[in-house]
Amino acid sequence: MYSAFKKVPVYNAFVKGAKGAFPLVFDIFPYLVAIMLAVSIFRISGLSSLCIKIVSPIFACLGIPNEISELVLLRPFTGSGSIALLNDIFVKYGADSYISRCACCILGSSETVFYVATVYFSKTSVKKLSYALPIALIASLVSSIVSCLLCKVM
Amino acid sequence: MNKIWLYIMLLSSLVIIYTNPSQALPTMIQASADCVKLCFELCAVYAIWLGLLEILEQSGLSARLAKLFSPFVKKLFKTNDEEAIKLISISLSANFLGLGNASTPYGIKAMERLDDKTGKINYPMIMLMVLSSCSIQFLPTTIMGLRASAGSASSADIVLPTLLSSIISTSCGVFLTYIIGKRRKKK
Repeated sequence: MYSAFKKVPVYNAFVKGAKGAFPLVFDIFPYLVAIMLAVSIFRISGLSSLCIKIVSPIFACLGIPNEISELVLLRPFTGSGSIALLNDIFVKYGADSYISRCACCILGSSETVFYVATVYFSKTSVKKLSYALPIALIASLVSSIVSCLLCKVM
Repeated sequence: MNKIWLYIMLLSSLVIIYTNPSQALPTMIQASADCVKLCFELCAVYAIWLGLLEILEQSGLSARLAKLFSPFVKKLFKTNDEEAIKLISISLSANFLGLGNASTPYGIKAMERLDDKTGKINYPMIMLMVLSSCSIQFLPTTIMGLRASAGSASSADIVLPTLLSSIISTSCGVFLTYIIGKRRKKK
């Protein structure tokens, strides 16, 4: 609306911008394949459930219930996978239970870190992420812990 | 990234060969197919948002938005590149509203702009990565929708805890980035 007011060729501008979508997706495609391949093979091989067994006692110490440690672990890797998991949790424990509310907060307050890392840097010359990845992961762990804590209080 | 990918692939492949080798290839192909599907969906979403960006750009609205955010962005990211500041502002404001997919194309463009072609990551890029990976959420729209459809009585009661925890985690991330960035500079 504002644009029309300013007499901008809205249609032309939109087309010009939208043209960039295909090349962009083209560029990020190989990175996405790589990450999705790794995630799927990680899950199907049973390694992920092993990891969950290992970390869940640690998570329990930090106040994260066992039922959602899988979600916390999966969240940085896959968005659709963690949403599927959230639905399972809803069915299992009911949408208004403490577990479900925790799960919602964790999903809401974090992002798929690895996806962001691969996609955002796909167009740059950067080879090493140095300390960006650890910080992002730590921050999302913090958000999980805080979510669980807040859901208990509120 | 190289190391992480290698380890995950290697370990998982070993385990899968040991447990059920017949599943290995179908799984990988399935993942790749899913990815193609996802890319097409992303393409649709990106086309809309990039189109809108161009309109914003030409109407001068994005420059205004950038002006609004720029003192804050300048301080946080330590960059003076106006184009980058503009893109960062748009990307972050989309993130705040829970539009993760909308902020991605702007984020990619911002990263491209910040890249100094030396192959090394620089401070503003790290800050952008950290900020976008633990975005502050005012309205987690997707999750509220899911919760409502699962039969929740009050699907909105997660908004406040989500907002608080994302604020805490984001400030934690920003703080860590700041500290480490300062240390690196001294060396």
